[in-house]
Amino acid sequence: MSDLPEDRRPAGRVLDARLHLLDRQILDVDGTPVCTVDDLEVHGLDGSDLPDGTQQAVITSLLSGAVLATRIFGGRPPSSRWHRIRWTHVSDVGTTLRLGVRSEELDVTWQERWVRDHVIRRIPGGSHDPG
Amino acid sequence: MKKVLGLALGILTAIGGFLDIGDLVTNAVVGSRFGLSLAWVVLVGVVGICLFAQMSGKVAAISGRATFEIIRERLGPRAGGANLAASFLINLLTLTAEVGGIALALQLASSVEPRLWIPVAGLAVWLVIWRTRFSIMENVTGLVGLTLIVFAVAVFLLGPDWSTLADQAFHPKVSAQEGQASYWYYAIALFGAAMTPYEVFFFSSGAVEEKWTVKDLSQSRMNVLVGFPLGGVLSVAIAACAAIVFLPKGIEVSSLSQIVLPVALAGGKLALAVVIVGIVAATFGAALETSLSSGYTLAQFMGWSWGKFRRPAHAARFHLSMIICLVIAVGVLMTSVNPVAVTEFSVVFSAVALPLTYMPILVVANDPEYMGERVNGRLTNGFALVYLVIIVVASVAAIPLMIVTGAGS
Repeated sequence: MSDLPEDRRPAGRVLDARLHLLDRQILDVDGTPVCTVDDLEVHGLDGSDLPDGTQQAVITSLLSGAVLATRIFGGRPPSSRWHRIRWTHVSDVGTTLRLGVRSEELDVTWQERWVRDHVIRRIPGGSHDPG
Repeated sequence: MKKVLGLALGILTAIGGFLDIGDLVTNAVVGSRFGLSLAWVVLVGVVGICLFAQMSGKVAAISGRATFEIIRERLGPRAGGANLAASFLINLLTLTAEVGGIALALQLASSVEPRLWIPVAGLAVWLVIWRTRFSIMENVTGLVGLTLIVFAVAVFLLGPDWSTLADQAFHPKVSAQEGQASYWYYAIALFGAAMTPYEVFFFSSGAVEEKWTVKDLSQSRMNVLVGFPLGGVLSVAIAACAAIVFLPKGIEVSSLSQIVLPVALAGGKLALAVVIVGIVAATFGAALETSLSSGYTLAQFMGWSWGKFRRPAHAARFHLSMIICLVIAVGVLMTSVNPVAVTEFSVVFSAVALPLTYMPILVVANDPEYMGERVNGRLTNGFALVYLVIIVVASVAAIPLMIVTGAGS
């Protein structure tokens, strides 16, 4: 029996970052859409923030916002302009990513809140259920 | 009993909701120039829209994901973004055409300059989107749009030579003065008008709005499989009206007043009033669908909160983008551009964009991660592949034919 190849597959479900994470819809704990996974922030386990693929790495955050433009046109926005959702908030990965927090509490939805407070709420009827 | 009523309501709404300004204008123009010799294209288009609308509804009901979320997820930010840009612009063009159609129909009823009606129409569309519940919006415009049946009645009242019409429809041939290129250009325009992509965005997002589940699928299948073909019959009736009145005299339809003229000739003032009500309802309903589609596509691509079932404050960017689209549409129309010309361009560019929408739907409808055991059967996939070929050919041929024929003139 000893000549059987050792099973090197990790235990549990294997996720392909490109296939199962990138460009998926993120929903908050109530099922409200938050954003789409525009990019991922990956840190090496040895502490480097730019892993080159030689060391083991973990996903630390989901990114959204300005990084979408750089994924389309190339380049890298300054990290001060990244809007992160910490990976620890993710509660489930399926055809969508579910978070364990409410969308209101996240920095990444600031544009939604800005448009809501400065435009939509100021138009009569904006805060009411459709009749 | 309630079930039967619900079913009947759904089917009637689908018939009334099938027609929009693109179908009205293209069918009338084609009828006046080619008779019924392009009626077969309507048949091909209707089968296609049934197939893909049903497929996108099924994907939405089972996975809860609407079409553009899937396009983004499958194509990634670059190809998906290019797809969004193309679909969004064509949708905006269609929205402009629909709002212009409302204004032209109101002008027919009131003799008031369309440019006075355009802002009113735009505001009315926005108010309905802002305040009305989704199901009410759908049902009212669909049911009132049913009055377009008067086109079918008019065909009988005009007492045509049925054998000539049948000969045009079943032995299509191109008349000497039109030429092959024009014939195929209008075939593509008709195909684009029947299969307009916004119908699929709207249908799949509507399934999410109305929280469809697997249980609702049989109802939606009936709506599509009965309602859309009957809508297609109305399309052919519009072409037949134009073929009976204009073709023998060699007059080409170029305005909305000409489109309704056969109905007025056949049924007098009363029929004219009915057809104007029908056109207002059909274009208004389609203006609602296209404005919502512009919000749906953008919000689904970006992952924003969207949907009419939410308060506007809970889908702020979705509502803001629809307001901006309506403002642009009204602004374009206020430059006195001819809405009929805008419509003719919008249906051809719709045909160009068809593969962008329909390909990703077909791929996901076969993905067990989304669909579980309910992936497409072999028969559906067989039909869908045949259509994919037709769609790609139409898309590739559209622009060259547009250049060769000088946009059909």
